[in-house]
Amino acid sequence: MVSREQVETVLGRIRPLMQADGGDIELVDLHGNSAHVRLTGMCAGCPSAHMTLYMGVEMALREEIKEFEELVVV
Amino acid sequence: MRPPAAFSPDDIVVGHSTRMRAIFDFVKVVSRSDSSVIITGESGTGKEVIANLLHHSSSRRHQPFVAVSCALFSENLIETELFGHERGAFTGAIKDKPGRFEMAQGGTLFLDDIDDVPLSMQVKLLRAIQNRTVERVGGTRSINVNVRVITGSKRDLKQMVAEGNFREDLYYRLNVLPIVLPPLRERREDIPVLTDFFFKKFAKARGADVPVVSNAVRYAFSRYRWPGNVRELENSCERIVQTCTCGTVRAGCLAAGVLFGGGDASPVSVSAELAVPGDAPSISLDDRLREVESNLITWALKVSDGNKSKAAELLSIKRSTLGDRIARCGLVEPVSRDADAPVGLDETSIAPVAVPA
Repeated sequence: MVSREQVETVLGRIRPLMQADGGDIELVDLHGNSAHVRLTGMCAGCPSAHMTLYMGVEMALREEIKEFEELVVV
Repeated sequence: MRPPAAFSPDDIVVGHSTRMRAIFDFVKVVSRSDSSVIITGESGTGKEVIANLLHHSSSRRHQPFVAVSCALFSENLIETELFGHERGAFTGAIKDKPGRFEMAQGGTLFLDDIDDVPLSMQVKLLRAIQNRTVERVGGTRSINVNVRVITGSKRDLKQMVAEGNFREDLYYRLNVLPIVLPPLRERREDIPVLTDFFFKKFAKARGADVPVVSNAVRYAFSRYRWPGNVRELENSCERIVQTCTCGTVRAGCLAAGVLFGGGDASPVSVSAELAVPGDAPSISLDDRLREVESNLITWALKVSDGNKSKAAELLSIKRSTLGDRIARCGLVEPVSRDADAPVGLDETSIAPVAVPA
């Protein structure tokens, strides 16, 4: 099982940059080995930001947590 | 065959780095000569741009500039590419074809990726450059060529000579005027100028307004390693301009590599570096420190899910000290969230990282 802490550690690596731009990426929930996140703030409504973060963050999570399965942006 | 690179002097960005300024000054000097130039630099550092600049600053500028990547051709093909062939020289050679040397007659020939030329071919190249004549494949006639040869290499040829992979005589023939282009990570001071240049260029091409670039993005760009050098920066800017929907480039627009590759982007480094405005008349150290402190505490509390002992451990301070500091910064402690708790409730406790106006 993926722990909240593991996911937060990865998110923590990009969070300072996101926050500096008035946004954030929130870990809403964990479902087994998948994480539900939400973009808040400035980038929340931008489809491009969704796409880049979706792919990038999921890739980073899979790289660091080998059992990680899926990232869902809610 | 690569299409001739359309070149205009507007494509040249002179940054602040002293190394690049020295290179541009050197280019000015050597453009007057006809001697061989070798440009060494990692992929994407701008070897062809410099070769173009050299040609267009020289007296040959009204003559052709021919660029060939030697990596594109197999060992057999490269000879016909460079020297041309006569009709009937081999199956399929239905007519005479001039080589790149002849096509560059009177002008400049840029042989990129010279480090990929096989040893057997190097000797023929040496002869052509030394005697200023070429013989087409299957031909017997020597053709005089008046070309200035510029070569590009991504590897250190001297090293290759030492390893026996590059002919020493050719190396000395080519290495008359060496130009070494630094990788982008070694001239980070030029990243802002280049970033602005590319955003402007791509916005103009798209007919859009030049986007505003947030400080967080500038910070991420300045920290990223840029293994693909200026070409990678250019492509990043192009991608962002094509996908931006709001007119402002923010952290969310960045490709994952850049976002995560900010290296050791810790809250400390980001807030500390972003917090110093370049043009503000003065800053308050106490205010800045409090901002940094409250950002870090907020971050630690979030990562540890509101567990103060864990947060204190993350920050290498005592549990009791953390309590004091939370109170001093006026932070509302985030409640430990469960799945049903409305997210955003503790949003008020997140002090935004200071961004200079």
